[in-house]
Amino acid sequence: MAVALVLLLAACAGGAQAPSEVPESEKYGGTAVVAMVQEAGGMNELFHDQSGAFLGGEAGWVVEPLFLALPDGTYEPRLAAEIPTVDNGGVSRGGRTVTYRLREGITWSDGKPFTAEDLVFTFDVFRDPDSTALVPVDYELVESVTARDQLTVEVQLKEASPTYLELWKHVMPAHEFESTAVTAEHPQARLPLGTGPFVFTDFKAGDEIALERNPDYWRDPDLPYLDGITLKIVPELEVATTSFLEGQYDTVFFFTTGDLPQLEAAEESGAPIVVETQETDSWVEWLFLNHSASGDPSVPHPVLGDAAIREAIDFGIDRQGIIDTVLGGFGTLVGSPIYSGAFDVDIPPATYDPDHARQVLDEAGWEPGSDGIRVKDGVRASLMFQTVSGDHTRELYQQIIQQNLEEVGIEMNIENVPSNIIFGGYEEGGLLATGSYDTMMSRDGNYVDPASWMASFTCDSIPNEQQTVGETYGHYCNPEFDELAQQAASTLDQQERAELYSQMAQMFHDERVAIPIYSSTWGWAWNLQLQGVSPDYWSGVWPSVAEWYLAP
Amino acid sequence: MVGPYVVRRMLQAIPLLFGISIIIFLMLQMAPGGPLASGEAQAAITPEKIERLRAHYGLDDPLPIQYLNWLGGLVTGDWGVSYDTGQPVLQVITERLPTTLALTGLAFAVSLLIAIPVGILAATRQYSVFDYASTGLSFAGIATPSFWFGLMLLYLFSFQWDLLPSAGLTDLREDHVGFAAVWDRTTHLIMPVAVLALIATANLARYVRASMLEVLGQDYVRTARGSGLPERTVILQHAGKNASVPVVTIAMLMVPELFLGAVITETIFSIPGMGALFVHSAELRDYPVLLGILVIAAVLVVITNLVADVIYGLLDPRISYE
Repeated sequence: MAVALVLLLAACAGGAQAPSEVPESEKYGGTAVVAMVQEAGGMNELFHDQSGAFLGGEAGWVVEPLFLALPDGTYEPRLAAEIPTVDNGGVSRGGRTVTYRLREGITWSDGKPFTAEDLVFTFDVFRDPDSTALVPVDYELVESVTARDQLTVEVQLKEASPTYLELWKHVMPAHEFESTAVTAEHPQARLPLGTGPFVFTDFKAGDEIALERNPDYWRDPDLPYLDGITLKIVPELEVATTSFLEGQYDTVFFFTTGDLPQLEAAEESGAPIVVETQETDSWVEWLFLNHSASGDPSVPHPVLGDAAIREAIDFGIDRQGIIDTVLGGFGTLVGSPIYSGAFDVDIPPATYDPDHARQVLDEAGWEPGSDGIRVKDGVRASLMFQTVSGDHTRELYQQIIQQNLEEVGIEMNIENVPSNIIFGGYEEGGLLATGSYDTMMSRDGNYVDPASWMASFTCDSIPNEQQTVGETYGHYCNPEFDELAQQAASTLDQQERAELYSQMAQMFHDERVAIPIYSSTWGWAWNLQLQGVSPDYWSGVWPSVAEWYLAP
Repeated sequence: MVGPYVVRRMLQAIPLLFGISIIIFLMLQMAPGGPLASGEAQAAITPEKIERLRAHYGLDDPLPIQYLNWLGGLVTGDWGVSYDTGQPVLQVITERLPTTLALTGLAFAVSLLIAIPVGILAATRQYSVFDYASTGLSFAGIATPSFWFGLMLLYLFSFQWDLLPSAGLTDLREDHVGFAAVWDRTTHLIMPVAVLALIATANLARYVRASMLEVLGQDYVRTARGSGLPERTVILQHAGKNASVPVVTIAMLMVPELFLGAVITETIFSIPGMGALFVHSAELRDYPVLLGILVIAAVLVVITNLVADVIYGLLDPRISYE
């Protein structure tokens, strides 16, 4: 709640920068130009997972979700009339039946009514083995979906699950399809039809994507203010950023923490832009540790299998130094694996204490060798240190970490590789999936509901030759942790879940399953010409698009 | 006779292209990572679905079968479907091809227009200030990495002096018509064409100079001069024709090079051509699109080689096609 209040205040402060109150009638018209750095193959999030597709999906520009997440991890109903709870009869006592009530009078942008049938159809597409939709994991728990009437959908879950508000972030218009075997070749997979304030009109690959105002937007026929939006594809972030500062683009989708110092400096030196940063924690940069030897969870990693090494790494990294010197102060320290969303657990981060780290290693029998790198029973404390190649900011603090750990006697050999080598599947030899790494730096963990994130540290998540599917971070296998994860994912009692997640977070922290480095500060910047932008949502400024307008 | 020669060479190119197709197919497959790898911090997708996608795209077939399927499609005009956009590869590529061909063609023309006169002038005035200056600039041009050159141009002309637009091919804020539209397009093309033409121009100028020098020292040139022909005729008609034989080879071989150079230029200047498509597809391991582009590049290499050989014969009757 406090967080929401802070954001609200921040939003008001942002609004105060407008020269004066613009009369409603002068807000209309104009086309905003937004630079998009990562082009998606299509703008339908159910078929394309590159970041650009977000603007066609969860951001609510064209396609809208049933529930919109707010910064504190609560939800606001959008296409739904209310949040289903046990109290309002939306959720059955046992938690296995959830009834979603839709708002009256919603129409697709082509004028056809939006009904319960559309939700049923979307689920049928997910179930169809011939469809290639990228089914979000939350649907695995759904047994059946039935339309009770035009505006009511009843869902049977296989077991009670608290993540039912994560369903239908994206609904497909049943009337646009002939069958449920929808594949990425379907035109709707490229430019989806939605209920939102804008309509896709054109997609010139590698060039630009055009959106036009939806004249009969159901929420308010007077919205949106803009006549249209042009998404210009600019593959080089540096070029996009500089052109943005020159006023060629109204905003950029999207900036990362590393861009914020430059943007803030430009704002201070008079560039016509507004920079806004998020108050809550966002994606955390993790140092994922491989707990197993060559992908086999029954054999501990020769170096990282030792808790002393993991503790020494935790205490040996000067995180604040990284934030201050490399990130220009944009970043916060985080100690808990569940640091945002509805169940955030507060655990203080490890302090930087190289003496403590050295002491821990001494006590565990890791003796410094002739070159200062520690050795125990003939095993050298030497680890491979990888992350996605090509990120300049990352490479800088990677070297700080390397140096920090060398000072306590742990050698980190930097060997960065392209992202799809890291994230490839088991059969493709992906490094994470096959466990072919020692330490891997990657961002993750920012979830409204932590269920799926915590699941990637369970024994079940580890793929092997018989069971090649699974997404694991660290080949960590601890039956106690699994037990808690299982309970937390199947109870509806929020109090009980909070208690279970708190235990898991503590266990995760004590065992040092993975080492958090810092939480990036999420930020946005837009040209002063663009007004009405507010970061009131979980995903930032993007869902406020209907209220955007160009200064007269 | 040129006709039968061209036919023979084209027939010879078939096994060559076949071999190239096997190599590029295998090399792409050998690179670690795959098209269904997700990126950082992306929404989790059910593992079963990933398996289904593999099957849908035929990725779980053995490699030889995958290759034969692809080759069969290639011959019959079905180049597969992009994993990224879901569109047919031929459509994806033909949408982008004209942009890159135009960019490459312009860069090639600019290279020739600059390199030939500069090379000839440098050769006829050997060891003059002009010769030293052009030689120095040529070496600088050859040694300049094009991405750096592109970024420098952007920094100066776009960001510092605000003279030229930084991205794309048209103005996004305004629709221009008539002359203004032509001017708009021209300003967008100046920097990309300059970057693309840089290395080719520098190389070509060196070759023109070298082969002119070689020819100018020969007896028949002295004879031509001795017979009282004007210097202009001697240089351009007598020496120039013979000097152009090796230059043609180099120039034609530069076409595929320019075509591939578009990879860097198009990415820097956000131009929606084949080069940008190649980078994007490589990041995503979009095999069908990558293979399509590589096949086109291979065909281009074969064709330009053939064209170079044919022009050879036209310029120098001593070369026989038997």
